[in-house]
Amino acid sequence: MIARVGSIALGVIADSLRRKVVYVIVFFAGLLALAIPSLPDYGVGVQAAVFREVALALSYITALVVALSLAANRVPGEVERRTVYNVLSKGVGRAEYLIGTWVGMFGVIAGSVAAFTAIEQIVALITYQDAMWRLWQGALSIALEMGVVAAIAVAVSTVTGPVVVVTASLALLFAGHARSTLVGGEGALALKPLYPSLDAFNIVNPVAHGSGVPATYVAGMLAVFVGLTGLALVIGVVLFSQRDL
Amino acid sequence: MRMEVHESPAVTVERAEKVYRHALLGRTQAAVRDVSFSVEPGTIHGMLGPNGAGKTTTLKMLLGLVWPSGGTFRIHGQDSTRPAGRRGLGFMPEQPYFPQHLTAAGALRLYARLADVETDAIGTRISGLLERVGLAGRERATLDTFSRGMLQRLGIAQALINEPAVVILDEPASGLDPVGQRDIRNLMLSLRDAGVTVLLSSHQLSEVEAVCDRVTILNRGIVAAEGDIDDLLNVSGRASLKVRGFSAGLPREVARHADQVAVSGGVWVFSVADAAVRAVVDAIDDAHATLVSVTPMRDSLEDYFARLLADSAREVTRS
Repeated sequence: MIARVGSIALGVIADSLRRKVVYVIVFFAGLLALAIPSLPDYGVGVQAAVFREVALALSYITALVVALSLAANRVPGEVERRTVYNVLSKGVGRAEYLIGTWVGMFGVIAGSVAAFTAIEQIVALITYQDAMWRLWQGALSIALEMGVVAAIAVAVSTVTGPVVVVTASLALLFAGHARSTLVGGEGALALKPLYPSLDAFNIVNPVAHGSGVPATYVAGMLAVFVGLTGLALVIGVVLFSQRDL
Repeated sequence: MRMEVHESPAVTVERAEKVYRHALLGRTQAAVRDVSFSVEPGTIHGMLGPNGAGKTTTLKMLLGLVWPSGGTFRIHGQDSTRPAGRRGLGFMPEQPYFPQHLTAAGALRLYARLADVETDAIGTRISGLLERVGLAGRERATLDTFSRGMLQRLGIAQALINEPAVVILDEPASGLDPVGQRDIRNLMLSLRDAGVTVLLSSHQLSEVEAVCDRVTILNRGIVAAEGDIDDLLNVSGRASLKVRGFSAGLPREVARHADQVAVSGGVWVFSVADAAVRAVVDAIDDAHATLVSVTPMRDSLEDYFARLLADSAREVTRS
């Protein structure tokens, strides 16, 4: 099973490179470089914190663009072009196919975020003579959150087309960051523990303005990532298993 | 190719059903009803039918791509709707398509890995298959440079990458030029000679007639006819004889049975009933003439197919 999942994931990664995902990274890295001269001149310490905040924001947008562009049409496109027939007829299970697809996407997302973070570090070194190592905590949180978004998109894409996939994924992303608003009232407090929140991944403040987050918090983020990704993929597998291709 | 000895049928479809339900209106439409057939190991079995007959739906149910409403689907005794039951299977869909950024060898390597082919064997198998389907020397060409016919050939190579015991080919000659069609026919025959079972779905009746041992004809979601090609087509009960050396015209015993008589360049061609062949051959001997050939007269598959569909349409109109 692992070999088949790995082969599918490698196929997704190779296809992503052909789609020139790297151009998206370069584009947003260029935006970052252009943004530096426009940062307010509060003094070196404050300016570096603002730089980290802008860098994390651009990294987040980059990862979101990469995740949605990869996930929106991957499964619908393979079904429409019938390339999925070649895969499933080889004895590959639908669960293996979906998980392999997601693993490949997560690999590309994580690679994109890592590449972008490395560029941020180089810019920080040149501009502020500071490697800003805690940016990698931010990178990890962004990669994990976009892994969840990709899993949601893959699940939705098993039964619908790209436009609905993007719309639904963005809606769930925003809802995931609006727990206190949507279930913050007294009447809804009982629902709060059950609400699948993405707020755990929001560590912009401690990374940009503080000294990062402790290892136990990172472990918590990983647990949330595993739980939400697993839930989304299980739903995707159930939906895809019932679909006529 | 793999040559395993299997006692049971290579492919068994029993009481296959597929009913599509309209989610909102609640209407149902049966695409396949009570379809059963089996394919013996080491034979080429054709699946025929007009558009909408249920061929593709039946194949998709066999491949686990469409969930059946009922029935059982087995390949060498294993449930083929489950992934494990499809491991010894090769499938080429109609007009196969591949990720365009891959090379021919890269695509085959991907499918070999998915089919659990041993890593050491992949390289030699790819080069052997590309040569077999006429794509030798194109290993490193990316697929966006391939013509439709070349993709078709690659589709067949993809289906054979795991050396399957059963191969399902959906319109394998579609998009190929006459030489390519002949190559595919020869390939199917060589697969059969190697003990591989081939289930062929095709609209090209001449192709089916040339290579298939047995056919299942579907129409309106049911099996309209099934049997050996020779049995289905040899329905006239007559034979065509070609004779040289009747210098004094047809002997009386021959003339009594002969029909559709024609003479050209001293060669007589006529038909007789199967039951009269022995008597006519004896009469030819007595007349010291030379019997050149005796050929059973039979329908072409095209004629048989057209007649079957016309009969079916008349029955529907009557009912």
